[in-house]
Amino acid sequence: MAETFVRKFNQSKYLLLLFIPCLIYYILFRYFPMFGVIISFKEYNIFKGVINSPWVGFKYYEMFFQSHDFYKLLRNTFLLGLYKLLFGFPAPILLALMLNEVKQRIFKKFVQSISYLPHFISNVVVVSMILMFLSPSSGIVNQLIQAFGMDPVNFMSRPELFRAIYVLSEVWQHTGWEAILYLAALSSIDPMLYEAAEMDGASRWKKTIHITLPGIVPVIIVLFILNIGSVLDISFEKVFLLYNPAIYETSDILSTFVYRTGLGQGNFSYASAVDVFTGIIGLIFIYSANSISRKVGETSVW
Amino acid sequence: MKKTVFGLVSLLLVIVLFTGCSKSNNGGSAEGSQDGSGIATTTPAGSTTGSTMKEEHTISFLNYSLPSWPYDKEWLVWKLLKEKTGVTLDVQVPSGELNDALNLTVASGNMPDMMLTLESELAKKFGDQGALVNILEYVEKDLPNFAKFMEKYPTLIQNTLTADGKLYMFPSEGLGVTNAMIYLYRKDIFDKHQLQQPQTWDELHAVLKKLKELYPDSYPLTFRNGLDKLLNIAPSFETGDKYYYDFDKNEWRYAPVEDNYKKMVEYLRTFVKEGLIPPDFLSIDTKQWQDIISTNRAFITIDYIGRIDFFNKSMRQENPDFNLTFMPTPAGWKGGKALNAFTQIDESGIMVSSTSKQIDDVMKFIDYLYTEEGRDLVSWGQEGTTYKDIGDGKKEFTGGYMDLTDLQKKTGLATYGSNLWFNPDAIIALASPELKAAYELTPKFVDKQQPKPAFTPEEVLILTTTGQEIDKFRLENISKFVLGTQSMEDWNQYVTNLQKLGVDKILSMYKTAYERGLESGSAE
Repeated sequence: MAETFVRKFNQSKYLLLLFIPCLIYYILFRYFPMFGVIISFKEYNIFKGVINSPWVGFKYYEMFFQSHDFYKLLRNTFLLGLYKLLFGFPAPILLALMLNEVKQRIFKKFVQSISYLPHFISNVVVVSMILMFLSPSSGIVNQLIQAFGMDPVNFMSRPELFRAIYVLSEVWQHTGWEAILYLAALSSIDPMLYEAAEMDGASRWKKTIHITLPGIVPVIIVLFILNIGSVLDISFEKVFLLYNPAIYETSDILSTFVYRTGLGQGNFSYASAVDVFTGIIGLIFIYSANSISRKVGETSVW
Repeated sequence: MKKTVFGLVSLLLVIVLFTGCSKSNNGGSAEGSQDGSGIATTTPAGSTTGSTMKEEHTISFLNYSLPSWPYDKEWLVWKLLKEKTGVTLDVQVPSGELNDALNLTVASGNMPDMMLTLESELAKKFGDQGALVNILEYVEKDLPNFAKFMEKYPTLIQNTLTADGKLYMFPSEGLGVTNAMIYLYRKDIFDKHQLQQPQTWDELHAVLKKLKELYPDSYPLTFRNGLDKLLNIAPSFETGDKYYYDFDKNEWRYAPVEDNYKKMVEYLRTFVKEGLIPPDFLSIDTKQWQDIISTNRAFITIDYIGRIDFFNKSMRQENPDFNLTFMPTPAGWKGGKALNAFTQIDESGIMVSSTSKQIDDVMKFIDYLYTEEGRDLVSWGQEGTTYKDIGDGKKEFTGGYMDLTDLQKKTGLATYGSNLWFNPDAIIALASPELKAAYELTPKFVDKQQPKPAFTPEEVLILTTTGQEIDKFRLENISKFVLGTQSMEDWNQYVTNLQKLGVDKILSMYKTAYERGLESGSAE
């Protein structure tokens, strides 16, 4: 037994060495902070520290469930995440499929580079760009609308438009980047399959449907499951920078609420209770998505 | 086998990390507080005069500075303080927000002797949690001059006390004058078109319309920070921002459900509708606001008094006529009150850590800042170097300082942590003639200072939960009313909903806390 372990260890020691930074990262920044969730069951006294603060049980959870904002926050977070998944998830697949059909190498590389650049722009910059473009007094979008003889729209004061603005900007920002994974999956499809299909007289469309798509289905499923897990895990900073009181109705989400009560009001225990709740919902989502996928198809994350 | 070994190793790692951290945490705080209290009781109390403590000390201090005057340990003010008190300050300045740094420092259990805070609420919170020294316990022994100061400014002390009558922060006094917020207008534009200063909000409406006709691309009234400015407008409508004390009726009231508040909202709604206020005013930040003012697209604004010099100095380089200056506050209606909210408050102060090993020395150092001599020193600096006496007890700066920021940057005078009791004459001495005039006129238009009741930790919990819900609801609805996306007919519905959320509960909390404060104040 021990011998096999030593042998196996020796075989893969360099791989293990490479793995160490990753392990340390996860222990330090992901697992270790998890002990912090106990402050959601305590009346956290910052001076006494986590260990010595008195226990209060589910007090803060009850407070949150009874709060008037509970339902609204949950709905906003869920809908925003759902729309992001609905529109944001297929977009990179489509982009990758389209790029795959482009025969001219230079053009393909050019489009690919341009499309993933926005991923590297910080959210702060993206949001100020959005606010500038959509400004009712000087924004370019409203100047266009007025050029067509219509009345300017005050985009950022209309609750019904917030989700669309958010989802569109997310798609613009991340589609190109996310398409890279699919492009990598596409390049691993055996060219012989295409050649065989050509022999049989398959059209390009048929080849896409019957070879390309099935070829990347495993990647799609894994990414889909991971995405479902983060439905509630919406980029805090973007929503926080983008929203204003007039559109709280659709834009106030769990994480902005946590920020306002936790850091804004110094109510750490309450805020972490809300965060733990968000985490549990995320876990339920990812778990159910995974088990469904395991039952229906053969691909799953675990 | 492989799995078990890995499992064991990772378990071990986790345990080591966990115990290691908690050990250092406990050790740090326990040891510190023991030593701190030990010294407080065993050290023979020094004599009460400041002059006896000439021996050299180093006091650690978590301070804060602003980008326009980054902290410099070579500043004159630190040298002068060292000469007088023998104290060298070992200053740390956080790279980010002060509040985050404070939270981290207190949580680490490794606190410096003194810490600056910009909010007295934070001092109350940390104090209630045991991190800070209750200053009142040291007043008799170490703080003779602070005791005199307390008699001189009872309201300030009252507002700094916690619900159970403890004092966890040395309050600041004097620099608050710079926090005055007033109406500012472009006098040059008004003179050019022979427009009159508006006396009431109806006249304000008329003059804004006129300006919009003359400059169609402008938004004549522009201010930053969205609905925060309701605080400054409200007194003219004889109402408040949120919960306020009505000195005529002697009771606490919630402003956003009052008819007068509604009148104010209706004016703003009309202004937005007619393009007199920018349609995106809710998201206008400081930068955008400055752009709008400096490109002649707004002619009236509400902001800090010091913005007079800020804009005039930079704008006159290209437009010598540019003159943004004090405008008398318009009254809500004919014969009504014309008042700005009292914002001349400086909430900052210095807290002393309960874990400090030299609490008495820290107290004596701080006591010097509350002497007349210390006040002059941190306000004016050194005679012959920074100022000269011009008779009648008046002084004049001689160092050739352009403005307050210049003084701060070059000497450290009037910066955070270098003073607690400040002489506002020093600020006014550096002002331009327009700003000086504004400082003289401002007191005529200022509302009474609102009392600031101290809440118990349980009350704070309700304020930060129910209170937050109410405030979010108010903010959301008032935004919609002002922007015109919600009909004014819904106002009654809005008021009912606010009451359902528990406004009365919070209101009675304010009342209880206020009365508790009055009782403890009279008992002393």
